[in-house]
Amino acid sequence: MKMYTATIPGSALKVRSRESYYARQKRLFVLVVILVAIIPLLFISWTASHFYQKSWLNKTTVALTSLANSRREIIDLFLGSQENILAGYAELYDFAWLSTPGNLEKLFKAMNHQGVIIDLGLIARDGSHLAYTGPFAEDLKDKNYAEARWFAEVMQSGRYISDVFTGYRGVPHFIVAVTDPTRSWVLRATINSALFNALLASAEVGPGGDAFILNQQGELQTPSRLGLAALPAGEKGLLTTDGALTIHHAQGSLYATTGMKNNAWTLVLKTDIPTSLADFYRARQRDHLIIACAALLILAVSTILVRSMMNKVEGADQQRMLLYDRIRYSEKMALIGRMAANVAHEINNPLQIIGDQAGWLDELLDEEDPASLKNTAEYRAAFAKIKAQVKRASTITHRLLGFSRSTDGLKSTINVNTLVEETVSFLEKEAANHRIAIRRNLDPGLPEINTDSSQLQQVFLNILNNAFDAISNDGMVNISTSLNARQLAVEFADSGPGLPEEVLKKVFEPFFTTKKAGSGTGIGLAISYSIVERLGGTIEVRNGKQGGCVFRVNLPIAAS
Amino acid sequence: MSEFSILVVDDEEEFVTTLVHRLRKRGWASEGALTGSAAITRVAASDFAVVLLDMRLPDMDGGQVLQEIKKIRPASRVVILTGHASASEGEKGIRNGAFDYLLKPVEFETLLEKLQAARDCGP
Repeated sequence: MKMYTATIPGSALKVRSRESYYARQKRLFVLVVILVAIIPLLFISWTASHFYQKSWLNKTTVALTSLANSRREIIDLFLGSQENILAGYAELYDFAWLSTPGNLEKLFKAMNHQGVIIDLGLIARDGSHLAYTGPFAEDLKDKNYAEARWFAEVMQSGRYISDVFTGYRGVPHFIVAVTDPTRSWVLRATINSALFNALLASAEVGPGGDAFILNQQGELQTPSRLGLAALPAGEKGLLTTDGALTIHHAQGSLYATTGMKNNAWTLVLKTDIPTSLADFYRARQRDHLIIACAALLILAVSTILVRSMMNKVEGADQQRMLLYDRIRYSEKMALIGRMAANVAHEINNPLQIIGDQAGWLDELLDEEDPASLKNTAEYRAAFAKIKAQVKRASTITHRLLGFSRSTDGLKSTINVNTLVEETVSFLEKEAANHRIAIRRNLDPGLPEINTDSSQLQQVFLNILNNAFDAISNDGMVNISTSLNARQLAVEFADSGPGLPEEVLKKVFEPFFTTKKAGSGTGIGLAISYSIVERLGGTIEVRNGKQGGCVFRVNLPIAAS
Repeated sequence: MSEFSILVVDDEEEFVTTLVHRLRKRGWASEGALTGSAAITRVAASDFAVVLLDMRLPDMDGGQVLQEIKKIRPASRVVILTGHASASEGEKGIRNGAFDYLLKPVEFETLLEKLQAARDCGP
């Protein structure tokens, strides 16, 4: 339902451009809130995560370094002690004693009370196996080691720790071998791999981590905890050349590598970063979820707040525009009024003269000799017509003046309900002729108001006349009065066809009429508008919910 | 019908001339004045029973002329005739001593009735 109290052309266009302006402002505010609230949140989250990860990496690096050092020392100590024990025996006992059956068993038992070695062998300078004690006696009985690499090495340097090899027994193992001081024979022990491997297996490298030893060729000397058969091709660079401890950070893993003292092995400890950080990643994921929820919440709340704020601003602006429109409309009406008054005045003078001249001619006609005038009757009729037309024109100019005049008419204290009843009584006969029912729904609690009753009655008459014209025959006009906070309202609802929007906009403008030419001047509602304005009230028109037009006159209660 | 004098004051010469003719024809001693100052001079010179006064004059405001006339001849009846005609202007004139007011254009018969009423009301 639209209501027209005042409308200026082109205001629809302005409303559209204002709407896009408010939409732009809304977007801008939401964007600002997002920038101010969400970006710091993301920044804090990123920084916290980044620093946590960095500090974890530092801590883990330190831990891994110390672990690598301690393991290397243990293994070095272990291998060194085995080598020293063998060397001690080689110095202590001579070849004759060692080759005497039973003596090697005694030494084996003395050396192996902790299960450190698996077997013990005595090999002559030519590589032949002279004595052996251990589980592989049958396999190794007649073997000659003259061609074995370890044998050549030990004969050359006096002491030797081998890489892991399969050898004659067909099982991977490694040995510690020493020669006697004259290098005429070799004492060789096979290290218990299970015991040796256990030295590494207990290293704390975390889930997904690994600990193993590599020889110079990069072959695994101890089993990989992760079950690797060989070192991945990309990790050959882990081999140390100088024996110093190095930390590598590659492919999501942290490696600590260090060279062994007694041989050319490299100890490798590996920690898997993603696996170790799994808990942190889970926590970070939860954080991200919380931040996403917070961001959504901020977005939603800011959108709602901004929308409500902008709607209020928009509402206030619209109110202001409406007020502005009203003022412009009143100014326009006042201007039209002044123009109408001037036009009416300028026309009234010539009308007066035209009427007078016709009357004067009419009088002069009396003095003529009727016999000399053929068309006396015609003349008289013409003068009468001129007078009648002057009268017709003057009614229009007088009504125009009525529209514009600034009344300081007589105000009195009246009851609007009584005035409505009185006005209706004037029109009852006409209403009956056209079978129009006039219903009244008057609020008995209306206070009396101080106003110009004859002017107000003219307004009511104008509105009712319009309603009658709209209904034509058979219909109803419903008049109701009601009381608001500061004003009372009189509503006239007719059962006519109502008015199109474009007519509603112009209905209070002077000379605007929908009646056919000659039957209406289009000034009644304009006069009504200016009267109600002067009485300090407003007049509105709209189409009713059940069709027809509804005119509403609002009048101030307090005397203005 | 005894002769009474009337002064017609209006800036429209044709209006004044025709009206003066028609009134004389009916036995009124009529004269015309086209400006406010001319009217005041005429009133000062002779005692008119009735003055028909337009409110919009080229040299003076009609209300001012009314006041001057009433000052010189308190007994003369002034009938206001105006094209600007609002009831309020006429009523203001009455408050200032005018006998009555008429709105232009007025029918001659109506004007005559009003003038006769003003004349008959006199001393």
